[in-house]
Amino acid sequence: MLTTNLNRPSLGDRYAEITVVAVTVIALLAGWFYKSSVESRSVAFESDGVSAAVPDGWLQSQGEGSLIRADDRTSAGFPTTYAISKLAVAADVTAAQAASFQTLDRSQQLTGFRVLNQQTVLVNGQEAYQVSYVFVESDPNLTSADIPSVVLGMDYTFVKDGQAITVSYWADEHEFEPGLNLFNRFLSSVKF
Amino acid sequence: MTESKALQERKHVWRAEFLLIVSLIVFVGVVYALDGALKPVFTSSTLLLTGVFLALVPAAIWLTFFYLQDRAEPEPKHFVLGIFGLGALLAAAVGVPLVESVFRVSHWIYADTLTTILGGILVVGFVQEFLKYAAVRYSIYHSAEFDEPTDGVIYATAAGLGYATVLNIQFVVSNGGVDLGAGVIRMAVVALAQAAFSAITGYFLGRAKFESEQVWWMPLGITLAAVANGLFNWLRGRVVQSGGISLTGASANPWLGLALAAFVALGVTAIVLSLVRRNIRSAQVAK
Repeated sequence: MLTTNLNRPSLGDRYAEITVVAVTVIALLAGWFYKSSVESRSVAFESDGVSAAVPDGWLQSQGEGSLIRADDRTSAGFPTTYAISKLAVAADVTAAQAASFQTLDRSQQLTGFRVLNQQTVLVNGQEAYQVSYVFVESDPNLTSADIPSVVLGMDYTFVKDGQAITVSYWADEHEFEPGLNLFNRFLSSVKF
Repeated sequence: MTESKALQERKHVWRAEFLLIVSLIVFVGVVYALDGALKPVFTSSTLLLTGVFLALVPAAIWLTFFYLQDRAEPEPKHFVLGIFGLGALLAAAVGVPLVESVFRVSHWIYADTLTTILGGILVVGFVQEFLKYAAVRYSIYHSAEFDEPTDGVIYATAAGLGYATVLNIQFVVSNGGVDLGAGVIRMAVVALAQAAFSAITGYFLGRAKFESEQVWWMPLGITLAAVANGLFNWLRGRVVQSGGISLTGASANPWLGLALAAFVALGVTAIVLSLVRRNIRSAQVAK
């Protein structure tokens, strides 16, 4: 029955209000867990003694010096990319030296390339050399009206048994930081 | 407020809802036809400004009809505009950042059908419907101006159109302007959908205030609106892409999305109207 009630919130109102907030929080938590489960879905990849769990739904390709290259086509701007490359090196070459060679190569290939930071780190108990850098990705087609993207990159270079394995992460400057956790999950899955 | 006022159906509210649907379809048709006939050339800034202007049109249409019809028992203009602004503010300050930056839905929600539906309900639906509920519940709800059940629909629709306006402006700005034809269809779809789901929340809000409902009543309303929101977005994606793939590429038909949005908005409005009528009849019998 319709009744008139212009009073301040009753106890029942308060409980109803709290229940709405609780239901919304539960729904969002469920959404967060579901999001995490979707993002952690992966496809196993193995090539030339290197294996990794590539995010499900990403576009996989090989070539251009990469054992594997996986692109997230849903990214805004430059597509977020993971890549693994392998290079034979002399037995006494360190991870830092292999990374320097890789960096020199990138500086010649990429537009506006700048190293932002480099350091030795441990990844899953293995020593690696981490290089953070930035470059500009521009469509070589001069008639393209797209504004070039500023891309942030990060390489982890490992040396093992005369092989330098580089795991790379490239993402649009706005997507780099939010996507770092997912990349770290990918990095942890790399076995060689 | 008098009890008899609580029993009013307020036909003009429903007329404004129906006129919004019809007018938006006419508006889309006119803009689409003008775009096709005149083929206007825009600079990047005029394209952006035109897009932002078009994003404001759905709310302007509803507010105009509402006030033209609401002469017998007018709601204070500043309250309705205030709730519209609050809905827009909550969308810009909380809703859009939460959905786009925290949940980053565009990165995972299209993984598969189940994900599109569940993500659409649990994240997009609940965020949007809770914020529209909050815009009304924590502002006008305990005011003397919220003095009949239908006010829930009025104020929730205002909040929903505020939310829709921000979604449309965000779409225009993030794309640096929009194609007039397809862009105006998308704006109408967003406005119709948000208005329809708000009507569900508004109906539950109105009854929550004036009837002794159980504690689960309002959570049920938000959940129903969120489910409708999520299912609509999934269905719209299916309908718009139903053109299939040809040798010239995938074809999308945004008109089908508009038809679906109009159908859903009409359906929801008719259902809410019939529920309000039924409540009034029950109350009159009880008297």
